[in-house]
Amino acid sequence: MRIQLLHVSKTFPPRQQALADINLEIGERELVFISGPSGAGKSTLLKLLFRELESSEGEILIDGRNVTRLSSRGVARLRRKMGLVFQEFRFLPALSVIDNVALAAQVLGVSKKQSRVKAYQLLKELGLKDRYDAKPFMLSAGEQQRVAIARALINDPSLVIADEPTGNIDEELADGIMQLFLKIRDRGATVVIATHHRVLMERYGARVIKIERGFIIDGSSGRISRPEYTW
Amino acid sequence: MKLSLITFVFRQVRSSLRHLAWSHILTSMTMALTLFVFGAFMMLQANLEQLLTAWGDQIHITAYLGRALEPAELDRLLKSVETLPGVERVRYTSQTQAWNEFQSVLGAQSGLLEGLPHDVLPASLEISVKRGQRDSSTVERLAQQLREKSEVASVEYPQEWVERLALIVLALAWVKWLVAGVFFLATFFIVGNTVKLAIYARRDEVEIMQLVGASETLIKAPFVLEGMLQGVAGGALALAALWAGYVLLREQIEVFAGALWSDGHVRFLNLEAAFFLVAIGLVLGAGGSLVSLRRIVKTWRGLQVPV
Repeated sequence: MRIQLLHVSKTFPPRQQALADINLEIGERELVFISGPSGAGKSTLLKLLFRELESSEGEILIDGRNVTRLSSRGVARLRRKMGLVFQEFRFLPALSVIDNVALAAQVLGVSKKQSRVKAYQLLKELGLKDRYDAKPFMLSAGEQQRVAIARALINDPSLVIADEPTGNIDEELADGIMQLFLKIRDRGATVVIATHHRVLMERYGARVIKIERGFIIDGSSGRISRPEYTW
Repeated sequence: MKLSLITFVFRQVRSSLRHLAWSHILTSMTMALTLFVFGAFMMLQANLEQLLTAWGDQIHITAYLGRALEPAELDRLLKSVETLPGVERVRYTSQTQAWNEFQSVLGAQSGLLEGLPHDVLPASLEISVKRGQRDSSTVERLAQQLREKSEVASVEYPQEWVERLALIVLALAWVKWLVAGVFFLATFFIVGNTVKLAIYARRDEVEIMQLVGASETLIKAPFVLEGMLQGVAGGALALAALWAGYVLLREQIEVFAGALWSDGHVRFLNLEAAFFLVAIGLVLGAGGSLVSLRRIVKTWRGLQVPV
């Protein structure tokens, strides 16, 4: 999926500017890091991409479609192509780990049995095959992080958006997760990761988009071109 | 909708019924209370209609004949009256029958009639009007058509009663819709609020479903289905309570009712009315859910559920 942001701003009421005049392009099958200190606007930028927030100004194009103008049905369709990893995980506490992961496939019409088989395979791949039946609150932060990643990957997304996916885990595990994101990228997906894990960014040599106080200070690519609309 | 999504919806409903059991029970009971009052009103209406029908059956138009008719003439007259619009049946009373009936009415005082000729009372036609057409305009029109017949000398009918009957039927219909309107509105409000509570209780789940791309229909369907189930349960509970009340109070009411209409039986709702009551519950449950969801989903606009 190709992402373009043109003069995007986000202001929270009454006058708190979270992002200012963001121009950014992320190519298909690209893995990028978005870095910056806490409160810089990383999470806001990610939320604009999957329309959890609406921009105050500017256009956000994903594969040529203007996300800011999508109807609620259009937003749902867009999100089906995405895999989201949230900083705060957002699990359903009453469901087991495997059911939390499988739920994301079930709402798109995959049967309960098939979705659980796929969820189990993913959990196994992420080293959680013995924890599949546990409730999320029984897992460590690192384990919960991996469950969140499994849920994001279950529908084979074309775009993975991850907010601090290595925030709660040790170096070795973070490496394992990064390998997984590279594998997803190699399968054809675009991967956008917000992080302030400096070592990780240096180790993987991907493009780093730096944000500070709502402005991009580095890594916007400089390849901003007029978008090709599909409508 | 795919079969897997339909089973998903049913699983959601089952889970909600298990986890929010008390909320569902309370809503069903509240709906049952509303439907009970409405059902009681339906029962009252059905029994009053029965009473009015019984009274209506006793209202006839009497056409007195001017002279004694030959059998062929009488046959022609009877046929022509029977075919008039609104006529249910016609009963002929000859002069002799009229005399005999009058005598039996007088009973012990029948000696007063001694010396009078037996053909002093005129022959007559007693005309019953069809149910549903016992309004004053139909009765008036029929009376006029009878007056126009050369064999008929005069026509009588209890005009005041006909008008009163029509007024009672009309008032009953108005009260029925007024009461129904108030109760439907109250039920809508109750169901709507319960759905709102259910949505807030499952806010996280709804939010996650939205974020992974679930359609609006899939998100709404379980709530609507729950509303329908609550409505059906409420309707069934209301019917059970009405039946219990009917069994307990029937005898006492029938003592009083016996003075008002011939058979004096108080009847329970018929099968059609019972289904209607449950169907109202179902429609109100689904409607209340949809209205509430529409209001809430409007504020989502594909974004977060409001907290």
